[in-house]
Amino acid sequence: MAQVTIEHLGKTFSEGTEAVRDLSLEIGDGELVVLVGPSGCGKTTTLRMVAGLEETTSGTITIGDRVVNHLPPRERDIAMVFQNYALYPHKTVYENLAFPLKLRRLSKPEIDDRVRRSARLLGLEDLLGRKPRQLSGGQRQRVAMGRAIVREPQAFLMDEPLSNLDAKLRTQMRAEIHRLQRELQATTIYVTHDQVEAMTLGDRVALLRKGELQQMATPQELYDKPTNVFVAGFIGSPAMNFVGAELGRRDGHLEVTFGQQSLRLHESEARPGLEAYIGRRCVLGIRPEHLEDAALESGAPADRRFRGKVEVREGLGSEVVVHFQVEAPPTLTEDVRELALDVDAAALADLEREQQLHETVFVGRFGASTKAAEGDAVEVVAEHGALHFFDAESGRRISL
Amino acid sequence: MALGADATRRRLSQTASSWVDRHFRWLLVSPAVVLILALTIFPLGYAIWVAFVTYDFNIPGHAWRGIDNFKEVVTDPNARKAIATTAWLATAAVAIELVIGLLLALAMVRPFRGRRWLIPIFLLPLFMSPVIVGQFWALLLTEPFGPTNWLLGAISGSDVNIRWTTQTPWAYFSILLADAWQWTPFMFVILLAGLSAIPDDLYSAADLDGARPRQAFFFVTLPLLLPVMLVAVAFRVIDAAKIFDVIYVLTKGGPGTDTYTASYYLYEQGFQLFHLGRGTAGAWMFMILLSVVSYWLVRRLLKPVEA
Ligand SMILES: Nc1ncnc2c1ncn2[C@@H]1O[C@H](COP(=O)(O)OP(=O)(O)O)[C@@H](O)[C@H]1O
Ligand SMILES: [Mg+2]
Repeated sequence: MAQVTIEHLGKTFSEGTEAVRDLSLEIGDGELVVLVGPSGCGKTTTLRMVAGLEETTSGTITIGDRVVNHLPPRERDIAMVFQNYALYPHKTVYENLAFPLKLRRLSKPEIDDRVRRSARLLGLEDLLGRKPRQLSGGQRQRVAMGRAIVREPQAFLMDEPLSNLDAKLRTQMRAEIHRLQRELQATTIYVTHDQVEAMTLGDRVALLRKGELQQMATPQELYDKPTNVFVAGFIGSPAMNFVGAELGRRDGHLEVTFGQQSLRLHESEARPGLEAYIGRRCVLGIRPEHLEDAALESGAPADRRFRGKVEVREGLGSEVVVHFQVEAPPTLTEDVRELALDVDAAALADLEREQQLHETVFVGRFGASTKAAEGDAVEVVAEHGALHFFDAESGRRISL
Repeated sequence: MALGADATRRRLSQTASSWVDRHFRWLLVSPAVVLILALTIFPLGYAIWVAFVTYDFNIPGHAWRGIDNFKEVVTDPNARKAIATTAWLATAAVAIELVIGLLLALAMVRPFRGRRWLIPIFLLPLFMSPVIVGQFWALLLTEPFGPTNWLLGAISGSDVNIRWTTQTPWAYFSILLADAWQWTPFMFVILLAGLSAIPDDLYSAADLDGARPRQAFFFVTLPLLLPVMLVAVAFRVIDAAKIFDVIYVLTKGGPGTDTYTASYYLYEQGFQLFHLGRGTAGAWMFMILLSVVSYWLVRRLLKPVEA
């Protein structure tokens, strides 16, 4: 296995679409890096450039110690798993696995040995004589993995390999891919638009937006310290709540005000960088899992509470997801618009209507025993460390 | 008395109406049945009868001949030659059409500027009557007025004097040219559809697996195109075996009997020489032969597809 380095990679299609812009990534030997982002952000294009299936417009791609920009795919020694598997429909599973080895002119016994080893690794032994159309989705997925593994390439590229599977199978195959990747110490670039896949699989995650890298970090860091509103909104489910707010100082403490309500900043949240924003507008972000029904947290201080009106209550058994309205203008930065649009057009329309009404819908994940009922007023507590602050113009995290 | 007659009439009309009720569905289908009988079954039966009797405009009466009509065709050297000519002309024509059609389809499967206009133009010959196509090539080829010899002469710089339609082997060449001109588009459009149906990702996968373009063609394109190709070939072989129009217009079977195909031979027997009995007997045998060949083609050629 080898390290893969991408430097200042750019791609502009002939009709003018700029799919990837100045992208630099380093994927260490044996590391699994996930490229994640909304549909159309350039993930597939990036992967295809690494594979050599798409010409680069600018930048260099290095695999191992070779710059491969001008090598055809067959000379790059990498394997790719396609979203639709791209199995050869006229070949049996065995022949599908053997094909890349045959092209490399390996001896028959060696081919047989390697095909059977890969098949065993993936539990395909009983299916070797079947044609792809006689396989279930999950089995096809395994064969596609097998065809990648059997060659023992320098790196694996996977383009949304699980997106054609149903939810249960997806979870199972995700674990399987994880196991295989660890076992083979395989350098892997894994593309998905599913942030759960990204968080669970990635050693590191690179989040793309409109062809530009937003942040590359470990899943935990991405979750704890998103660099901007876009990353913050993309990672986590349900998504982070955003509201237009203003920073101020009272009794020597920093406090944030949205609509008529204020929250005092906990020391873990009160970064010196925030001083510069006193009296200015900013974006406040709070994750749903950091909100709790105040009735269940009697000890919580009054200056960490705020009120809203319950709109929707979704019981999940282990917890209750509550959507509630807060009187404060939502933020409608470019980032937030795009995040909403990635859900669907109606979500963006909802946001725009809320802005007109000066109301923001928050989502909270409350304890199962909450009594919050639709139409009721609810008092909510923000946990320590729950408050994230972003610049209102640039959307960047206010750090330091 | 009057009452009794009334009752009888009523009973009669009752039975009549219940008869209509019971057989109404048959009444409904009867026009179709009559039509089929008149247009298909009757001519077919009649043709069977004709094949076994003397049916000749020069000989009065329709004496029973048993299988003599069949014997005469089978023993006619011209008939045997015509079958051989048909076989190799059809094979050659379909082979030419397959190769050129495939090359064209491969060239046009990727989008490029003007493809939208080029494809319909390519398909035009398909929509022409074979007689028109034959006439069109006759005009181009037939000496002394056809421009072909003049054009070849101008290119080669010496006098060209080929009798395209009355000289062997040029007559074959002319027939193949006209047939290929008309039917290559058929191969082209079917193979183009077949090629377009092969997913791009398969080529990407083959490329990453280490296949060179030539290997991708033999290991991916060809096997995946094979079913479509076999269907197109089967269709064309069956159709080409019946070739008539182009020969009728271009060579009239000549020179001599060199370009007699089965259809042309039968036409001559029936409608030039007026041996309708013999012609019909020949037509039956040709139909059976062609059915056997088609059956074999379809079974044999389509077998690898099912496996
Ligand atoms: N072959 C192509 N020609 C022109 N534009 C393309 C092509 N492939 C992708 N694009 C455009 O490039 C952008 C990125 O596409 P893609 O890499 O497929 O996104 P993703 O995989 O992240 O969903 C999109 O706007 C898409 O429309
Ligand atoms: Mg994609």
